[in-house]
Amino acid sequence: MCGIIGCAGRGEDTLDTLVHGLSKLEYRGYDSAGVALADESLDVRKCAGEIEDLREHLSGMTVEGTVGMGHTRWSTHGPPTDENAHPHQDCTGNVAVVHNGIIENYQSLRDELVAAGHTFHSDTDTEVVPHLVEDALNDGLGPEAAFRQAVEQLAGSYAVALTVAGTESVFVARNDSPLVLGLGEDATFFASDVPAFRDFTDQVVYLDDGEYARISPEGWEVSDVDGTVVEKAVDTVSWDPEETGKSGYDHYMLKEIHEQPRALRQCLRGRVDELSASVDIGDLGDLSPTGVQFVACGTSYHAAFYAAQLFQSAGIPAQAFLASEYATSPPPIGDALVVGVTQSGETADTLSALREARHRGARTLAVTNVVGSTAARECDHALYIRAGPEIGVAASKTFSSQLGALNLLALATTRSDEAREIIAALRDLPGQVQELIDDSDAKEVAEHYQDADSYFFIGRGHMHPVALEGALKMKEITYKHAEGFAAGELKHGTLALVTEDTPVFATTVGDGEQATKTVGNVKEVEARDAPVVAVTDGQSDIERYADHVLTIPETHPRAAAVLANVQLQLAAYHTANFLGRSIDKPRNLAKSVTVE
Amino acid sequence: MSVRTAVVLAAGEGTRLRPMTRNRPKPMLPAANRPILEYVFDALIDAGISRIVAVVGYKRDRVKDYFGPTYRDVPISYVTQAKQLGSGHALLQARSVVDGPVLVVNGDRLIDGATVASVVDHFEEDQDTPALAVIERADAQRYGAVDLRDGDLVSIVEKPDSNQYRLINGGIYAFPESIFGAIDETPRSDGELALTDTIARLIERGRVRAIMTDGMWVDATYPWDLLAVAREVLARGRVVEDEQADGVWVDESATVHEDATLQGPVVVGPDCEVGPNAVVGSNTALGDNVTVGANATIRNSVLDVDARVDAGSTIIDAVVGQDTTLGANTTIPGGPADVQVGTDVYEDQRLGAVLADRVRARGNVSLSPGTLVGPKATLHSGVHAYGHVGEGVEVVR
Repeated sequence: MCGIIGCAGRGEDTLDTLVHGLSKLEYRGYDSAGVALADESLDVRKCAGEIEDLREHLSGMTVEGTVGMGHTRWSTHGPPTDENAHPHQDCTGNVAVVHNGIIENYQSLRDELVAAGHTFHSDTDTEVVPHLVEDALNDGLGPEAAFRQAVEQLAGSYAVALTVAGTESVFVARNDSPLVLGLGEDATFFASDVPAFRDFTDQVVYLDDGEYARISPEGWEVSDVDGTVVEKAVDTVSWDPEETGKSGYDHYMLKEIHEQPRALRQCLRGRVDELSASVDIGDLGDLSPTGVQFVACGTSYHAAFYAAQLFQSAGIPAQAFLASEYATSPPPIGDALVVGVTQSGETADTLSALREARHRGARTLAVTNVVGSTAARECDHALYIRAGPEIGVAASKTFSSQLGALNLLALATTRSDEAREIIAALRDLPGQVQELIDDSDAKEVAEHYQDADSYFFIGRGHMHPVALEGALKMKEITYKHAEGFAAGELKHGTLALVTEDTPVFATTVGDGEQATKTVGNVKEVEARDAPVVAVTDGQSDIERYADHVLTIPETHPRAAAVLANVQLQLAAYHTANFLGRSIDKPRNLAKSVTVE
Repeated sequence: MSVRTAVVLAAGEGTRLRPMTRNRPKPMLPAANRPILEYVFDALIDAGISRIVAVVGYKRDRVKDYFGPTYRDVPISYVTQAKQLGSGHALLQARSVVDGPVLVVNGDRLIDGATVASVVDHFEEDQDTPALAVIERADAQRYGAVDLRDGDLVSIVEKPDSNQYRLINGGIYAFPESIFGAIDETPRSDGELALTDTIARLIERGRVRAIMTDGMWVDATYPWDLLAVAREVLARGRVVEDEQADGVWVDESATVHEDATLQGPVVVGPDCEVGPNAVVGSNTALGDNVTVGANATIRNSVLDVDARVDAGSTIIDAVVGQDTTLGANTTIPGGPADVQVGTDVYEDQRLGAVLADRVRARGNVSLSPGTLVGPKATLHSGVHAYGHVGEGVEVVR
């Protein structure tokens, strides 16, 4: 998802208008941004990063023009770099294009353009458009006709806009991606969504698929595919558009926590068959690794740690490494498959570790959320987690989807006597996460412990990575100290920190040895007056020693890890909310860390 | 100015549909295999509405989570009605986010785009006069009954005692912006503000146009009505899955064993799995990710999202809620029954059973016709259930 905006008639305020509009579209993605302004010449400025980074980039620069357009990007084709940021230009530098959507036939168009001598600077699908326009202009067409000829060649979804040096108009077209015009008294706007220009006008015209529009300081005109002018209805909007992207939730993070049933369905769709106990993830099923090394950072590292456990239980030696360490001091790799787990596919530390592995001759696989990301392109193989865009900086739904996808990887590449049970448990997950969200008491727990000094998280087996992730989430968004441990490790040091003001979140599932031993550890902290929050499926007797209980539905221990984590996400979210933290953009943190 | 904004009233629970509404409001109950509200949104968008304001209240997260910020590229704003104090009160909650004329529809009944477009078109001829859709129904006394004269409303009566009425308020209204002031001025009755009370006042003081329509209009009052709703949806082919054969719709991500039989009309949703020798249909809808085990028979039933029916089960005339699991050899033989809801008895309803969300039937369970099972109830192995099983109750032999 990306956001576009354009305006004509704002005179000297054109640049400010565009940047302001982009800031209102940031919910649609913010890994790179740029603007193009045209008068007799065309000025294009763009960079990787948030809108704030673009502001900084622009400060002190002269960027002039009386019409212009801007773009904020959430990467689909190519990583968030300066080159891949929009607007994109042709070979002459007189043409600029911004685009939201996916051009499905871009590869063939690009091949033809390259063969015809065009030079490309980005990995994006969008860049074919300015070059197509360039060709049409060279054929003697005017800007509007050139734009139409270029757009007619596109297959896929687009809201696309064009500026040309020396032309006081911006041209737009729409197919399957949102686009709306804004009609001010002295200026005209277009954008992916109304908030972008809502501060300037409440008069809007919604474009339909297949329609073109031209805006200029003098006004606007909409036409259909054949060029016939279309009479459009003008609507008045009045709602507060800020909230639209959040579906009425206070924060993207809560919205994304609630989206997990849907994200998990997407992750599993078409990949599991319970009847035949089989998993289909394409060629990846033929990998049959004799060893696996996972490299990842942050939340993705916790998913990698969990995945290593899955392979170990199938008898395959597997380890998870912090990517930043692996990159500089890698272990012997041997025949191991090296798997990079990175939500964005652009995490610099993980890319560096994967490059190191490849340099040493290892086969590599990227497990990522972003199609066409650097990790996906540079690795030999890619497995997509299909979680959809995640705006909140603290990962929530993408962690659940990573666990889902890594289960698929383990099932497809190893033998398991439990395959059918595990697949059934995975298929049950969306409904069980929904059940948990419907009934969770995490908000009450958060309210009770919001003033705690520290939070500790313990668990064994698959609940160990869950404990680590629970603590990380708490740190990230509450700014409070939190630590996760293997349950048995608590007594080897950290117990010294446990007091009546340090709640301990203990996760157990089932009533086996792991649960019994974890209950033993809970008794240790209870004896030191620490409050205990049990995250449990109710099968062990942990509730007897707990002050609060967060219940999860009964299921296979692998799936239980996903469920337990959702309770901890909610506990962290509500704690941060009671504390009034900036949940979607915690201090000092960025969504995708593209520096080592 | 044309009407491009619609306010959808989706805040009510629909108490007569309990126990199906334990976790979601009535608009999110399944019409075949999609929520009722999805059909309402489709109708609005098909009629050219370009902005939707959803008034949500009871279990509102479920509405927001399902649709998100946009549906079919149309932005959805959500406003909250914290207490359900009537349809007029619900509409008032949208006042601050609506400018100009507005379309208002109930979110809990299936309607189609032609009906909506007809109301909008007539209203746009005279934008000072409210307009509402009127539909002919034999059971008019169950709804808001209306009388007309020369195309105008002359009276509107909620659930009249008399059975002389044949026309009802279709719950699709076009109003000038002044409607909000008119609701403000309407006295509350029993603390509630019904939109129909305001309309009755508008009739006294001026005109309200009645737009006769004969499009789809389907309502569920009681849980077993969801079976009739599914039949109607399937009969009209209002499903989004690919049609494999006449009246057999199967999503491309579903897995149906080659030895299974689908008898149309039947719809099989995304991610479903249907095992060998299972027979599904006719008049059956499987929601997303439903699992039907080997040799199971399912007929004239609605199985909601994530439901599981294990091998050898027979499920007839049943409504099965989300994430409910029916163990091997569960038997719901179906047929007519007297169903008790509270103190009322509804005689001779064709109902095998209603099982709400997250029920667990362990295996070899049988249910008498007309049984209602509450959410999260557990029926242990070999149990024969009948009557009403409450929420969370464990039934053992």
